[in-house]
Amino acid sequence: MLQDQLADHDFQVIAVAIDEAADTIRSYIDDDTDGITYPVLLDAHHLLTELYAISNVPTVVLIDADDTIVQPNWNAYATDTFKDFTGIDSGTQLDAIRRWVIDGETLMSSDEARDVVDDLSHDEEQARLHFRLALHLRDRGDDEGSERNFDLACALAPHDWTIRRAALPLRGGDPFGPEFFELLAEFDAAGRPYHGVHHSGRPG
Amino acid sequence: MIGYGPAMTPDQTAIVETDPLVDPATLPDLIGWTLKPEGLCRDDRCVIVSDRSTLDAAGTIDLRHVAQLLDRPVAVDEAAGVVALGAERSQRRGALQDLRAPDFRLPDLDGTFHALSDHRSKKRLLVAFSSW
Repeated sequence: MLQDQLADHDFQVIAVAIDEAADTIRSYIDDDTDGITYPVLLDAHHLLTELYAISNVPTVVLIDADDTIVQPNWNAYATDTFKDFTGIDSGTQLDAIRRWVIDGETLMSSDEARDVVDDLSHDEEQARLHFRLALHLRDRGDDEGSERNFDLACALAPHDWTIRRAALPLRGGDPFGPEFFELLAEFDAAGRPYHGVHHSGRPG
Repeated sequence: MIGYGPAMTPDQTAIVETDPLVDPATLPDLIGWTLKPEGLCRDDRCVIVSDRSTLDAAGTIDLRHVAQLLDRPVAVDEAAGVVALGAERSQRRGALQDLRAPDFRLPDLDGTFHALSDHRSKKRLLVAFSSW
């Protein structure tokens, strides 16, 4: 694993689950044969997606020792688990990460880095708030109010996976049922929008 | 290291059980900010309130105006009587425009909180993932 290979280079992995399914996340950790040696955090209220304009997972951000973002939101994979679906090869991405950690080589200039992530739209901001309201009302026992806010959130950000896909299991839907394929078709038709850099890691 | 406020926690994106029009005296409990003569204040920070008439007409303060002043998004569900306030937009702008990583503090599976800044002085790979 990257963390162990690069531990001597003042390098730290921090994983954040945009998720409240603590048991499922725990099972991922327990099932990982290499053993996970970095913090795995739970972000049930999707704070990170608001702070970093994250619209899908996995999203990787490379941050220098002085808190400068050198590689903004990047649709990078640390394993090949989803390769068939995405066509993304994790090997070249891991090489790029190693070059940055060891040699300080970045994938883009700071001017390019400032240009590659679109800010959240007003609707995408609102979707995040209605998603949180939906969780809150569900916890309060107001299922109707919860559904109303999930509906609003999904209508406001129909191509945002942290909203629409994340809401699916929370609303009792089948994560790979018809609603998923509907979302996937609409996402494809919209040109697979993503707030950040696609898998090559380079702008443009 | 540039200082830009405390680490964000889920608590700092507030969900408040209230109608949007509130008694200004309740503001500190609701969102941690206090209405003072010099403006809306929290710790040693104050945001100037240029037109106070929009804020405390009829002795109430509208959380939507408060959110606007603090440059935070706000959403109201009137039927349920809840208001959601998002994070200050300057945090995200710092990330996108200035490439300054917003700090945050979130719990691990055992409930122990970790901040991005706990690992300052290291190169960090932050990865957002999920079970969905």
